Amino acid sequence: MGEAQIAKKTLLGMVPADSPFYRFHPVGRMALLIFLSVTPLFIDMPEVNLGLILVTLGLLWWGRVRMQQVRRYLPLLVTVAIFMFGVAFLAPGNRTALTPIRSVGATFYFEPMWWAFVSYCRLIAMLFGAILYFSTNRERDTLVALRSLGVPFAVSYVAALSLRSAGMFMEDFKTIREAQQARGLDLESLSVVEKAKLYTMYTVPLFAVALRRADEISNALFAKGYTLSGRPAGGGRRTDYLRAQYPVRARDWAVSVGLVGAFALVAALSKTTGVFSDHLSPLRAVVVGMVAAR
Amino acid sequence: MRLAVEVERFSWRYPFAQRDALREVSLAIPAGEFTLVVGPNEAGKTTLMLAIKGIIPHSLAGRHDGTVRVFGEPVAQKNAAVLARQVGYVFGDPDAQFTALTVEEEILFGLENVGVPTSEIGARIRRASELTMISDLLDKPPYDISGGEKQRVAIASVLAMDPEILILDEPTSMIDPLGKDLIVDICGSLKRDRRMTVIVVEHNVEAFAPLADRVVLVRDGRIEREGAPRTFFDDVESLIDCGVYPPQVTQVFARLQRRGLYAGPLPLTDEEGVAAGTRLLQGAGRWR
Repeated sequence: MGEAQIAKKTLLGMVPADSPFYRFHPVGRMALLIFLSVTPLFIDMPEVNLGLILVTLGLLWWGRVRMQQVRRYLPLLVTVAIFMFGVAFLAPGNRTALTPIRSVGATFYFEPMWWAFVSYCRLIAMLFGAILYFSTNRERDTLVALRSLGVPFAVSYVAALSLRSAGMFMEDFKTIREAQQARGLDLESLSVVEKAKLYTMYTVPLFAVALRRADEISNALFAKGYTLSGRPAGGGRRTDYLRAQYPVRARDWAVSVGLVGAFALVAALSKTTGVFSDHLSPLRAVVVGMVAAR
Repeated sequence: MRLAVEVERFSWRYPFAQRDALREVSLAIPAGEFTLVVGPNEAGKTTLMLAIKGIIPHSLAGRHDGTVRVFGEPVAQKNAAVLARQVGYVFGDPDAQFTALTVEEEILFGLENVGVPTSEIGARIRRASELTMISDLLDKPPYDISGGEKQRVAIASVLAMDPEILILDEPTSMIDPLGKDLIVDICGSLKRDRRMTVIVVEHNVEAFAPLADRVVLVRDGRIEREGAPRTFFDDVESLIDCGVYPPQVTQVFARLQRRGLYAGPLPLTDEEGVAAGTRLLQGAGRWR
């Protein structure tokens, strides 16, 4: 048995083929992506977003995604935190209207720091939602989901080609860099400015290769009988073998409708009642109390 | 005899080129024939194949004269889907032709384009992948497999469409010796079992010459010579001057012929070479 049958290569790694996620139709998994990645946009209350992050981590564990795979995003989380809190500290806005906090020899302002925290929780919740989706789904799943939702073939196909092109672009980049290293280029010894110059130089061969590939793919599409409309020879409706392999069952529709419905409910409540406003956050009340006590 | 391909005084010039890539080329290929196209680099071999496939003039810009017909109809008047059902094209660089994200999708893409019903697609994928020995790769990304496997995937994706003519443009140029043997075996079975019209452009004539019914030499945009392999490779020296290297066994016996040591027909395969060598040595009384 090949590795392909034991594990599925997803966009961000490998996941066991018997992961519970694969019991659900790709449409259901895409609905989960919408719920976990878009819902935080409507939630300011950090506790809820932190809760969503915990739920996502739980789903990653349940879906048998290797946690080592997830751990490699830690530097990204730290970098984003440094950037967001750094901006809130260095450029807090109109200071006269803000609440100063003296700590570790510097003056912070509560409101921008709190808003940075709210935004950070939201961003990380969205990021984890995307990590969950791309760690457990292949490009094919995305295609099937889009086609099941009635997205025209040409649109879904262009999306798939873009995903493939991104992979090829990275491969070409790697090849060019390895060729330079093979000819004695020591990246470690370069300064930041020199590295920036080098990366600018990469664009020339990369664009040349990209243009050539575009030409080749255009010929390949013609050779395989593809027309711009995506309609098959003789007209009529295009057959969709891939989608036929993934029948949508009642349970899948229920899961998808439930998740999209939950998203819509959160969005509606957020807009109409403000129930997810950060001003209603118990955590904020505690922090405000602590700031006042100082 | 039904003609699969008719090229009549066809000329082609790429935009901004100083001269024609093809100059008044005429060629007729009967259905069911295995044609090997040879010639030096930049001779116009690939351009000729692109013209038969219809990529010229449909997809590439340039200036042309003359006509290319496939099964009696000009390719310029056929659309991509019709041409895909009649002429399968395997590009020299397999990476250049992959348009899907798994091997299975790569194969089924063309099938959906030519309107094969869903109920038939599974069987076609199975048949093509078994013939090309890629059944265990269906779930993998086509860019994540070896060079030989990529080329077999490319062939499978074309064979699944069941074209009447198959063009392979330098199918072994980027693969290892074992992979080359597999490609040659596949071509052999297409000729033997399917009686398909196969056109192979190849520098490595050693492997394909024994399969060929006819060899065509393209040079400087013209067809310089064509004929059955046994007569085509007779003039070894002038072929080498043209940048075409006949099978090594043919070259060895041609040298022996020049030195007056061998008078029989030039062998094309190792087996024929062994037989001819045995006869030669027996004749010289040195072999028992």
